[in-house]
Amino acid sequence: MKFTIKRVAESLLFAANVFILFLVLFESKMEFPAWLQSVGRMHPMFLHFPIVILLIAMVMEFFRFSSNYSSQEFYQNFTSSFLLLGVLSASITVIMGLLLSKEPGYTGDTVEWHKWTGLIIVLFSSLVYWCRNAKWYKAAVAKISAVTVTIILIVAGHLGAGITHGENFISTPLIANRVIEKVSIDKAIIFKDVVLPLLNSKCISCHNSDKAKGRLILDNEENILKGGKNGKLFVAGFPDSSMMIHRIQLPEEDKKHMPLTGKPQLSNDEIELLYQWIKSGANFSKKVIELPETDSLRIIAAKFLAPSGEEKYEFAEADEKTIKKLNNNYRAIFPVAKESPALNVDFYNRSQFSAKSLEELSALKTQIVSLNLDKMPVKDADLKTISQFENLRTLNLAFTDITGEGLSQLVTLKNLKSISLAGTKINSKNIQPLQNIKTLKEIFVWKTDLSEEDIIALKNVNKNIQFITGYKNEGPIPLNTPIMLTVNNVFTDTIHLFLKHPIPGVQIHYTLDGTKPDSAHAPVFNNGLVLDKTAIFQARAFKDTWLGSDSIMYVFYKSAYTPDSIRFGSPPADSYKADGAKTLINHITGDLRIGNGKWIGFQKDMHLFMQFGKPVKLSSLALHMMKNVGGDIYPPLSVEVWGGMDSTHMKLLQTVKPPAPVKGDIPSLFLVECKFSPTNIRYVKVTAESIKKIPKWGTSPKKPGWVFTDEVLLN
Amino acid sequence: MEKEIIETSLGINRRRFLSRLSLGLGSVALGSLLIPDLFRGSAEDEAASIMSGLPHFAPKAKRVIYLFQNGAPSQLESFDFKPKLREMVGQDLPESVRMGQRLTGMTSGQKHFPLAGSIYDFKQYGQSQAWISELFPHTAKVVDDICIIKSMYTEAINHDPALTFFQTGAQQGNRPSFGSWMSYGLGSENKNLPAFCVLLSRGKGNGQGVYSKLWSNGFLDSIHQGVQFSSGESPVLYLNDHSGIDKTTRRKMLDKLAEMNDISYKEFGDPEIQTKIQQYEMAYRMQTAMPDITDVSKEPDDIVKMYGPDCLLPGTYAANCLLARKLSESGVRFVQLYHQGWDQHDNLPKEIVGQTKDVDQPSAALITDLKQRGLLDETLVIWGGEFGRTNYSQGKLTKTNYGRDHHPRCFSIWMAGGGVKSGIVHGETDDFGYNIIKDPVHVHDFHATCLHLLGLNHEKLTFKSQGRRYRLTDLSGKVVNGIIA
Repeated sequence: MKFTIKRVAESLLFAANVFILFLVLFESKMEFPAWLQSVGRMHPMFLHFPIVILLIAMVMEFFRFSSNYSSQEFYQNFTSSFLLLGVLSASITVIMGLLLSKEPGYTGDTVEWHKWTGLIIVLFSSLVYWCRNAKWYKAAVAKISAVTVTIILIVAGHLGAGITHGENFISTPLIANRVIEKVSIDKAIIFKDVVLPLLNSKCISCHNSDKAKGRLILDNEENILKGGKNGKLFVAGFPDSSMMIHRIQLPEEDKKHMPLTGKPQLSNDEIELLYQWIKSGANFSKKVIELPETDSLRIIAAKFLAPSGEEKYEFAEADEKTIKKLNNNYRAIFPVAKESPALNVDFYNRSQFSAKSLEELSALKTQIVSLNLDKMPVKDADLKTISQFENLRTLNLAFTDITGEGLSQLVTLKNLKSISLAGTKINSKNIQPLQNIKTLKEIFVWKTDLSEEDIIALKNVNKNIQFITGYKNEGPIPLNTPIMLTVNNVFTDTIHLFLKHPIPGVQIHYTLDGTKPDSAHAPVFNNGLVLDKTAIFQARAFKDTWLGSDSIMYVFYKSAYTPDSIRFGSPPADSYKADGAKTLINHITGDLRIGNGKWIGFQKDMHLFMQFGKPVKLSSLALHMMKNVGGDIYPPLSVEVWGGMDSTHMKLLQTVKPPAPVKGDIPSLFLVECKFSPTNIRYVKVTAESIKKIPKWGTSPKKPGWVFTDEVLLN
Repeated sequence: MEKEIIETSLGINRRRFLSRLSLGLGSVALGSLLIPDLFRGSAEDEAASIMSGLPHFAPKAKRVIYLFQNGAPSQLESFDFKPKLREMVGQDLPESVRMGQRLTGMTSGQKHFPLAGSIYDFKQYGQSQAWISELFPHTAKVVDDICIIKSMYTEAINHDPALTFFQTGAQQGNRPSFGSWMSYGLGSENKNLPAFCVLLSRGKGNGQGVYSKLWSNGFLDSIHQGVQFSSGESPVLYLNDHSGIDKTTRRKMLDKLAEMNDISYKEFGDPEIQTKIQQYEMAYRMQTAMPDITDVSKEPDDIVKMYGPDCLLPGTYAANCLLARKLSESGVRFVQLYHQGWDQHDNLPKEIVGQTKDVDQPSAALITDLKQRGLLDETLVIWGGEFGRTNYSQGKLTKTNYGRDHHPRCFSIWMAGGGVKSGIVHGETDDFGYNIIKDPVHVHDFHATCLHLLGLNHEKLTFKSQGRRYRLTDLSGKVVNGIIA
């Protein structure tokens, strides 16, 4: 039975061979019914069978005569049948392919080659099948045949893939890894450098000379203008009446939408580019920079181009080993970017520089485009070395030791764009030779002896060169204030005051009487100024060409006696207990910030007890306090001072009632001083009565207020 | 890193393995059992491919100075002028504008959201006629050199995540900092200095902390970590040799130490040991390079006046700007400044004056100074905070006082130099200064753009850690072409 099927198959193969030959010979004279088109279109699907089957069959054919298999009946039978199946399916594929090639769009070299290789596969493998049992058909012939068929099969398959998926479908990912260099906007031609690359990437896989779908070929100006079978591609100047724009703007589901669903689609920018190009008249030769800067086409085209100024360097790359050898910690040599032949060179560390370190760069004289010698001890003689760096664009000689005499040597630098001579001893005569360099755009000359007249004169010689003269001060600005170094502001006998100022050469003037110091009358401050009584110290800094600083003000309090022990009757609020009662005699007062550990706060009356080891003659007691009605901090209603020689017999020495605050009082520090006739005492008690009900206008009416104090002064 | 250690102990890595034993699939399979990541490409290979330290394409900017305004300065008192808020002062923020967007816990409980216009006046400056508030008179003078972006937005609403997002491209921390990515991608220009330096200063305004995680190298080699400078008189501590140790002794000691470290590297293969050796070497070279840079006493009087006299007072923002210029000029890739004190939840009108006084003049001076040195073209300067502030008052609104809460939906920053279009304003917000209506720029877009200016493709600058490739821009980010010159 099996045998019979094989016979039928063999007959079919023979018939197919004849039919194929007939088709090939009379193809051009034949018309096919429409249903055959569908058969033809199955070619791209069906072709996978013969490829796989033939490949396997050929591998088996290759080993057919080897001693292992030659006697195996199954191997021999299977090979024979499988080869037949392969050849037969190949024939069917070729027939389908020939039918498909009749459809419009399948023209060109690739299609021709594919057709003939496919044909050879069928005819050659059929031949193998018919002859493989002949006597002369030995191992060597089998092997050669198998290899030949395999190779042609791969070639035909690859060509076919090229037709379906676009040329270089397989190799594209490998090629794409190379960074595609964008053209600089300065040089770009709209069609050649912007539009055409887009067509190449998104359209050409179907609309090329091999596979001109819709008889449209998008590879050059002529073919693009020719259009396709549906007519012209566009009407120059009228994108909305252009077929191309219409088709790419259709929704993706629409079968007329281009590119076809499943193919890489156009981005919005790309659609916009084609639109604007057609709108502007679809010019094929215009440069991007010929368009005005605000032109929509120029703006959109710029997105596809490298920004201007990105230079292309024509010279050859330097030897990597040379670069590596010359590169060190004080002479950094780097390519401008990956794969760029151009080099930047920077020198660091003045003490490491020598004429030799510059001369060694001669090995790279073609490749150096930027050389930074800022602050290096470069001499006039060294400029000779630099003058060989023919491709130098940027040269920084700022703050070097050149005198300017040698600058004329640099005229050999035909590509120089920018040179910095800031902070050097050049004069205007030295610069003149440089003005002959046509490419030169800017010269940095600040911190040189060039006068404004010099620069005006120089500018007149060559108007293309810009002179950078640096920052000009706009009138004097105020100095910053002196900085107080003395930490304590309460003292027992004397205190030494120390100030500093960050600006060298300032003179500090001060007053002790509460007036603002000026430079004419106020005495000059010398570090270590000694105060022996309470004083309001103010100081300001002055210096030529500056305005005087703001005034700093510090009050220094004398407190002649320090108690041997100090305690509160009941403890202060937890949040404002600082270092306990000791805080009041630590010789530092606080500022308006209550949370910095310098202030003691009570939301009730404060009772303070002090004790002296030996009796002291006291005539005054003062509390340094804060008020801030916004924060419910009020002056005490009254302060009472009690004193005596023992703790049980104290008498009231003085009561002071500080003025009550009013609405809108700004936060401030003040002193509540109680003076009394000198009294010998060992024990002192101070009571500060807090406000129990905050007035109606306060922040927390009717609630109890706070009293805050940070130092007690005893004199 | 674990992988490197395994590889060393086996005396083999992927390349060596494949080249030695390119016999068949069997040995490859065996190899993959021995070294888990055999087919994934080691971090070392990957590093080698970009670690030539070269940009992917010709860069516009070689260096970055990032003036971070930590705490989030109000855009409504600086660069985003909203007369409508003045007209409607005191009225409630319309729901049609807010659209239910989230607020912080600090104001979400407020019953009213009274709109607060800036009490500071704005004027137009320069070729772009950009509106700049009277608090920034010096910045207004350099307006033609900067590009103001009014349409920045971020995803975080609180300081730490927002700051971390800006600095590392992720809110959670532990990713490499922007500066570390740059050090990794471009290497250092001057091998005698760290590639990434960090300078801190503090204004008098309400402050928010900055933490060293912001300049962390994350999973990158620790050589890419930011080096924090001290705010005191001596910016780099412990750089001077002890008395009695001269250069020769120091050299000998370092050589011996390197020898010993090398022995331990050969034994354990931990790449951090190599880093350590390199860092000792750099510290040695820094001993001569650093004093020149940190000594500001030789700066001429007009430069001091340009930055303001505080620039000679160590630890101030002005001093840090001057130091930033000196570092950048000496080839430091990334100088990161942080100025604290911008968190004006209340008392905004008063506090912001102090802050702007600290930063306005030195920031503008930095632009001018770089420009006169020919460095502005190759240095990207960035000024901005981590988010913006609300258009309504936090707390009580009075004629002279108000506060503003955090607002991530729009805020203003500026960039200058390094290939950024100068003298333009990018993006727009609505009349209420609440939502962006044109050209939004996300933090990832901002990073992508910065990297682009530096010649780096943000999608290609990757590093593999724990089985995944990471980027500064995570999985998104688009280059903002509109601001590129």
